[in-house]
Amino acid sequence: MAIHEKSLIDSDRIKTSDNLVLDGVDVSGHWNTMILPRYLSNYDTDFGRKIQTFTGAENVHRCWQCGSCTNSCTVYAQNTDFNPRYWIYLTNLGLKDDLLKDKDIIWTCVSCNKCTNICPKDVRPEGVMKALAHWLEEEGHTPHTKSSIFDEEFTGQVYETGRIEDSRVMINFFRKTNQPLTPPWFIELTKRMMKHLPVGFLMHMGLHLVFKPRTKSWGRTGQVLREYVREQKEAAHKARTMPKEAVHV
Amino acid sequence: MQKTVLVVGAGPAGLSAAAGVAASGLNVVLVEKAARLGGTPILSGYAKLVPSGEWAKDAMGRMVKRVEDASNVKIHKETKVTKLSGEAGHFTATLSNGSTVECGSVILATGFTHFDSINKPEWGFGSYEDVVTTTQVEQMVAAGKIACPSDGRVPERVAILLCVGSRDRQIGREWCSKICCTVSTNLAMEIKELSPQTDVFIYYMDIRTFGLYEDRFYWKSQEEFKTKFVKARIAEVTRSPDGRLLVKGEDTLVKRPIVIPMDMVVHAVGMDPNEDNPEIARVFGVGLEKHGFVDRAEHYTNTCGTTRRGIYAVGAALGPETIDDSISQGQAAAMRAVADLNALVQKTA
Repeated sequence: MAIHEKSLIDSDRIKTSDNLVLDGVDVSGHWNTMILPRYLSNYDTDFGRKIQTFTGAENVHRCWQCGSCTNSCTVYAQNTDFNPRYWIYLTNLGLKDDLLKDKDIIWTCVSCNKCTNICPKDVRPEGVMKALAHWLEEEGHTPHTKSSIFDEEFTGQVYETGRIEDSRVMINFFRKTNQPLTPPWFIELTKRMMKHLPVGFLMHMGLHLVFKPRTKSWGRTGQVLREYVREQKEAAHKARTMPKEAVHV
Repeated sequence: MQKTVLVVGAGPAGLSAAAGVAASGLNVVLVEKAARLGGTPILSGYAKLVPSGEWAKDAMGRMVKRVEDASNVKIHKETKVTKLSGEAGHFTATLSNGSTVECGSVILATGFTHFDSINKPEWGFGSYEDVVTTTQVEQMVAAGKIACPSDGRVPERVAILLCVGSRDRQIGREWCSKICCTVSTNLAMEIKELSPQTDVFIYYMDIRTFGLYEDRFYWKSQEEFKTKFVKARIAEVTRSPDGRLLVKGEDTLVKRPIVIPMDMVVHAVGMDPNEDNPEIARVFGVGLEKHGFVDRAEHYTNTCGTTRRGIYAVGAALGPETIDDSISQGQAAAMRAVADLNALVQKTA
């Protein structure tokens, strides 16, 4: 390897094309290794405004970087990469790429609110962490996890039928997460259930798996529920399209 | 014993001193080297003053009128003191217009000179038209329009660089000019008022909006006017191929170099000792302290005193000073001058 200092450089700044021909010269492989510049070349001033439209982050622009939040942070005490002070700064200047580097830990805020309690400028950092986590999710930066897939299957069934069918939730969850439909523990569970549950109940479950029963009059109720959820999402989006200059406190 | 006090300089401090002495019944001779009274706020075309928010021409106008209306104040414009002889109680001053003044004491209210940004060439002043000083932005605000000097466009982004000509050993300015932080946060708000679509960034090492200026200027500018505060001392201002300016430096909070496009860069220029201070020191026989400002006597019991008895100094002549405090010091020096003359009169009697 030509550049032995590579270990000193963030891996996302090193670019190498497997196949590249420049001016007729084949420079495939490490011959074309380029190091992207380290400097910040712009601010995205709309970004802070966007985050501010999420509930909890309204005061993010007040931050003066004293670091009280980070110093008081429960999570920081365990993991010094968890730095609310830094993310608030990135938010205010719109340094989105740097923020995304930490997308896998921002959501680990435990909402103890020590930061919000100590903040001398009433920035409410806990709310900002929540807002950032929501933004990451909304923009698709948060990967689907087993638990989020389970949640979706669960709520999906509630929307559809007004109830959940345990066995259907499990089977669909296994399918969507590419797991075998009959893991040993599941077989064991089923065996024990068959041993202890009344036969009528088991038949009931089996039938429900096939016929997908709905809660009585769920049609209208489900419609109201879906309408409510839609309204809530729209309200949040309305806030998000707030004009640039309408934010004088 | 002379019942006249010579006041040199007709800015906030001098006008205040002259009014104070005149009100106490003694005579005042007010000497001003410029053709107009009012000092730097008027001569440099300041917009609204900090912290009152009153237009400079109105506020200073009232101070000027008070002195002009006083029957016992004699004013010499476009005049300098060229010679001073005698001692406390019996000075004789020779003016550049040929007249002589017999006076009992002298109040130096000779002010400061704005730092000349040309002495920091790496920050682009003099090379790029869109690099301006806070004084120029004051004039833009007074004229009611924020525009890039190069082509008249309304700037999308303005960067205000703090500590230009302050806190800089490289150029022998080791002092904090005290008021630039407050003035800059105030200007950021004024820019935003005149041009709501403009984003203002303040590049700072520290924010020193002392005392009651903290929330009235710094917090208000950040919280209500959305001024962005970036912790970086800019190293260089250059121009990008598209004609915009580039500010280069290190953002010490993200620990990364920055090269950010801006439409206008404003130097928050500091206060230098008055460029005439060597001459002032020679003519009046007073000492200068190590930075070049007029040297202060022991302050506790010799308030407003200089190194020479009977000569007092006030305001930015002594070091970076606010307008309000300069005015207070003018009154204090008037009190000193009058009290000391009274003491001399009693001693003689």
